[in-house]
Amino acid sequence: MSQPAIDISNLTVQIDGQTILQDFSLGIDLGRKVALTGPSGGGKSTILRCILGFVEPQAGKIFVSGQSLTAHSIWSVRKRIGYVAQEPDLGNATVQDVLHRPFQYKANQHLSGNLDRLPDWFKRFGLNAGVLSKEVGHLSGGEKQRIGLISALLLEREILLLDEISSALDKDNRQAVIEALKNVPATMMIVTHDEAFFELADRIVTIQPVREEVGA
Amino acid sequence: MNIQDITLLRLAAGYGLLIFPLAVMLWYRIPIVGRTVIAVVRMTVQLLFVGLYLQVVFRQNSLWLNLAWLMVMILVADVSIIHGCEFRLRIFLTPLFLALVAGTAIPLVVFVGLILKDASLTDAQYVIPIGGMILGNCLRADIIGVRGFYESIRKNEKAYLNCLAQGATLSEAIRPYIALACQSALAPTIASMATIGLVSLPGMMTGVILGGATPMTAILYQIAIMLSIFSGTAITIILGILLTTRSGFSAYGVLHRSLFVK
Repeated sequence: MSQPAIDISNLTVQIDGQTILQDFSLGIDLGRKVALTGPSGGGKSTILRCILGFVEPQAGKIFVSGQSLTAHSIWSVRKRIGYVAQEPDLGNATVQDVLHRPFQYKANQHLSGNLDRLPDWFKRFGLNAGVLSKEVGHLSGGEKQRIGLISALLLEREILLLDEISSALDKDNRQAVIEALKNVPATMMIVTHDEAFFELADRIVTIQPVREEVGA
Repeated sequence: MNIQDITLLRLAAGYGLLIFPLAVMLWYRIPIVGRTVIAVVRMTVQLLFVGLYLQVVFRQNSLWLNLAWLMVMILVADVSIIHGCEFRLRIFLTPLFLALVAGTAIPLVVFVGLILKDASLTDAQYVIPIGGMILGNCLRADIIGVRGFYESIRKNEKAYLNCLAQGATLSEAIRPYIALACQSALAPTIASMATIGLVSLPGMMTGVILGGATPMTAILYQIAIMLSIFSGTAITIILGILLTTRSGFSAYGVLHRSLFVK
């Protein structure tokens, strides 16, 4: 039996003295897509941030592709993950620079050929080539979300962590994103309030602020 | 040519220069009279104390006494930086101290050992004032540089974390913030090099001229000190940032929020 792509067990997170997650457990098999939903404040984004090592849990374990998450392993685990934050902050640069920047990192240099797929992703997400020369600060919220997603997709990671990636997208663009993600073979955790994304998911997990997990 | 002495009686005339600014403050009720008087008293007492101590240091011309004095100056500068940056004192005390030592010592050794023909680290006459000038500038640049570095990461934390999420190592993720911090910290020294001599006669040059040297000798000293200051500030900023990252970031590469006093 293959090991889960993501295995979270008994995760407890407190931030500023407030318990955000209590004994949360979840396993996701390789290639499966799981939607995390539920009311705001339930800790959905915190789960993604824990997997990325941005939040250190008080208790519990996280395994990514069988590798336990530690201060040492996190640096190699991140090379397997693509992440799109809610309202992504892409820095101060042109879109062209933002999309090229990850390939300057040692971890991604061998993937720089993936930039050839940029025109294809732009077309699929309804972006014109003129956007490339725009400053990120001048982009609309929807454009930023699509650029953030393209940046993560170009890295072709095994695991994608997507946090409310459709909050600023109109109906057509949202559908284009869903269709595109259907064909991406990565394991996905999708934090969303948008029910349209449920059709993408193999499993929907509702997280309540009372730290209850109800699987569907 | 010897420099003229100033007697205490004649120095009193210098204090007379305070009458006009203090009168203006009182007339316009500018609420800094008290602070000004305290500052003048502190300046007088501190400088007299330093003067007495330096007379001993200059008489002894001892390497160890010179180094001890420099270390005291660096320690005071170190604490000033940490207060100026509004960082929690203990975390950065040692790394910034080491950065200041390197930033002051390297150009000082080059200045005294290579640029000056017959001087050595035992010559307090050269070591103390030149070391002090380099250190003073390192202090200013380090406050701007180190604070700018950590503040810009705190301000752009989402963008910074995004770089880590994309697979950047810590040194790759902080690189643009180091560049920005260095740029803003070195800018005043670069601007001062570009305009020096046009706006005013710089401190060292004035001192050397007052000491009786020719203007050309004074200019050569000034060029040497400007190069030393620029080199020292660059060394201090880079080392200050690099040596503090170990305590500034978690092992996961996340900025420690507890660093900041506010």
